[in-house]
Amino acid sequence: MNRKALHWILGAGTPVLLLALWWIASEQSTSAFFPPLRVILERFQALWLFEHFQSDVLLSLRNLLLGYGVASVAGIALGFVIALVPVARQILEPLIHFLRGIPPVALVPIFISLIGFGIEMRVASIALASLFPTMIATVDGIRSVDPGLKDVARVYRFTTTEKTFRVYLPAAGPQIFSGLQVGLQVAFIVMIASEMLGSSQGIGAMTILAQQSFMTADMWAGILLLGVIGFAANLIFDLIRRRVLAWYIGSRKLARAA
Amino acid sequence: MKTSLPPTRSNSAAPAAPSRKNAMTEEQTPAPAVVAGTAPARLDVSHLAKSYGTGDKAKTIIEDLTFTVAVGEVVCIVGPSGVGKTTLLKCLAGLHPATSGRASIDGRVINGPPPEMALVFQDYNRSLMPWLTVRKNLVLPLRHLHLSAQELKERCDSALAAVGLEHAESQYPWQLSGGMQQRVAIARALAYRPEILIMDEPFASVDAQTRFDLEDLCLKIRRDFNMTILVVTHDIDEAVYLADRVVVLGSKPARVLRIVDIELPTVRDQISTRALPEFARQRTEVLSLIKRPA
Amino acid sequence: MKFRPKPLITSVAGILAAIVLWQLIAVGPAADSPLPPASAVAESLGTVLGTSLFWSDLAATVGIALLGLGTAALAGVVLGILVGSFEPFRYATLAVLEFLKPIPPIVILPLIVLVLGPTGQMSWVLVFFGCVLPIIMQTVDGVHDTDPVARDTARSYGLKEPEILARVVLPSAMPFIGTAMRVAAPAALVITVVAGLLGGGPGLGRSIYQAQAAGDYPTLYALVAVLGVLGLLFQGATRLVEGKLLHWHESFREAAHA
Repeated sequence: MNRKALHWILGAGTPVLLLALWWIASEQSTSAFFPPLRVILERFQALWLFEHFQSDVLLSLRNLLLGYGVASVAGIALGFVIALVPVARQILEPLIHFLRGIPPVALVPIFISLIGFGIEMRVASIALASLFPTMIATVDGIRSVDPGLKDVARVYRFTTTEKTFRVYLPAAGPQIFSGLQVGLQVAFIVMIASEMLGSSQGIGAMTILAQQSFMTADMWAGILLLGVIGFAANLIFDLIRRRVLAWYIGSRKLARAA
Repeated sequence: MKTSLPPTRSNSAAPAAPSRKNAMTEEQTPAPAVVAGTAPARLDVSHLAKSYGTGDKAKTIIEDLTFTVAVGEVVCIVGPSGVGKTTLLKCLAGLHPATSGRASIDGRVINGPPPEMALVFQDYNRSLMPWLTVRKNLVLPLRHLHLSAQELKERCDSALAAVGLEHAESQYPWQLSGGMQQRVAIARALAYRPEILIMDEPFASVDAQTRFDLEDLCLKIRRDFNMTILVVTHDIDEAVYLADRVVVLGSKPARVLRIVDIELPTVRDQISTRALPEFARQRTEVLSLIKRPA
Repeated sequence: MKFRPKPLITSVAGILAAIVLWQLIAVGPAADSPLPPASAVAESLGTVLGTSLFWSDLAATVGIALLGLGTAALAGVVLGILVGSFEPFRYATLAVLEFLKPIPPIVILPLIVLVLGPTGQMSWVLVFFGCVLPIIMQTVDGVHDTDPVARDTARSYGLKEPEILARVVLPSAMPFIGTAMRVAAPAALVITVVAGLLGGGPGLGRSIYQAQAAGDYPTLYALVAVLGVLGLLFQGATRLVEGKLLHWHESFREAAHA
């Protein structure tokens, strides 16, 4: 019990201690690169909570959600088609593997060349880049559905809709979710990249513009906000995953304990 | 294990599945008294053969099988392991097409999963949906039958009561022991109210006591629902205990060695039936058929 | 996903059809758009492959990715073993590592570029930061997974703590480290490209940016295609190396990650 309390104090105390150290050490800083944390937080509040909340923060998040949402639905749907239609798989699989090898961020210049610097470009880049992880994971998940479950579905004469949504989808759920998680990270990266590459709006654009004009505290505030968004997005995803896949997590835990 | 069934279901004279529409069944009320061989054949397997591959690489699993199962009869299929019993069941369930010959229900050839049939698989842990609770596993196959909520609940309740799992209905299959999972699989088949129930080594991986309970459950289902039951097993004692007739298969490829009529009383009991001299005689008969060099 | 040899014809046909479709769209309905025809891209690919600039770019990209990966592996394994072996360390760093893990390196790119400028050093630092965290965390998990009996046995034979770490703990953490490397190696390539594209670091990323900025679209597409092939090679090479080093761990790894 005592030991456990110590671990808790260590776990919660270290981040607090690090932040406090940063605050104290940077307080007198005159370095162009490392402004005082106090100033950074002031700028954070002024920039993100007031001046640019609607014009940039909400815009970035909307692009992220829209692109990621489209990619998730399309990725799962395409994954089903590729896994269940052999011809589609043979035609599309090598193409998909090649496209997957391209770093997602390298797709951004191509989209810029095709549709300019607008919001459509950013949403399209996010969607296409985060499509692949979800799609590939879905294909793998569906192909590894237990043949026993498929037999059950046939013997009890499930309809195609029942097979799709009540057998294949939940059975492939664990793999689909790990694909969705990678897709979310890719979407976040491409969101930032698409804004940094010549856009004038969005959190990424504001951060890189601040860097280019040596407004270091503003740049730090941008990095801080992006970090918090990256962490929060992953946290929310994990909470949803734990809810939806409670059966899977529970059964794995039980199997490991045995 | 509790074995209380609702009184409405306990009359063997009632039609096997009163609530199910069935265009194919000619006799709407099966004969109440069942004597092996005299009742009309429900399931008819005639010169069934199954092989995989073609040409030189063809591998014949089943050579030539002929037998029938009458309405309300329990037939066991025994044979050495690896003889192709599961393949046979998959042909009967319409999961695999036969290479030649045919299997038919009431004269209609099986070429897809028949609506009046349910199958209990060998691997219980691979046949239940791990993401559904026990009750939802039972409900899933019933969805497209468009039953009333009342009927749905009644069917699940009585099926769970029949296998003694009322208390486990909101648990997940992976939280249950192997024997309990197999009982869930049986309950799922019961809730479906099939007229023909096929079971593939259903009690192979449960402990001895549960096995006895499940065997008695099987006999009770036949009695209460007048179900036609086909059980594949490699356990000869089990086959003799359960069956009205035992189909003995020889390997390889699978063919019928003999069909043995079991002359035991209809009401059976794990202790007294197994102690009968007749039981010993018939199990020896079946065993010697299997042990005999081909 | 594996290719099966039999449907090879369909697969080749799929790729050819995609290229023909691309050519037809680029020449026909999209003739006025910035989409270059496949033939022009192929032509410029030929030209690009003949320049020494391309090969020095390629060498820089691969070199930076491997250097970053190598240093991150070294630092990650050492730190991971230290953190994993001492309980207080582990609890003290847990919250910090969990917070930092879902934040991609692109977030700190503006800061690193600000401090180091558009240099190879900048790219290397970014790759290092991007790869080191997952390697640390996997190593910690691997150390934690060491059979305590094996540890006690070694101790009872009088082995010293550093020896135990090197001979017992490290080998049993190997499968975890292997998994981390399999994820980190393609990531190293992606981060190098990002550093070039957004931060101006040397390599193919910078060339892609320059091609896009100059409106030289055939070259842009050719370079992105090269990156796709490079990405596949990186993934394949990682799998090959991992298979060679860890074949004796195969069953173990299955169990650890099932």
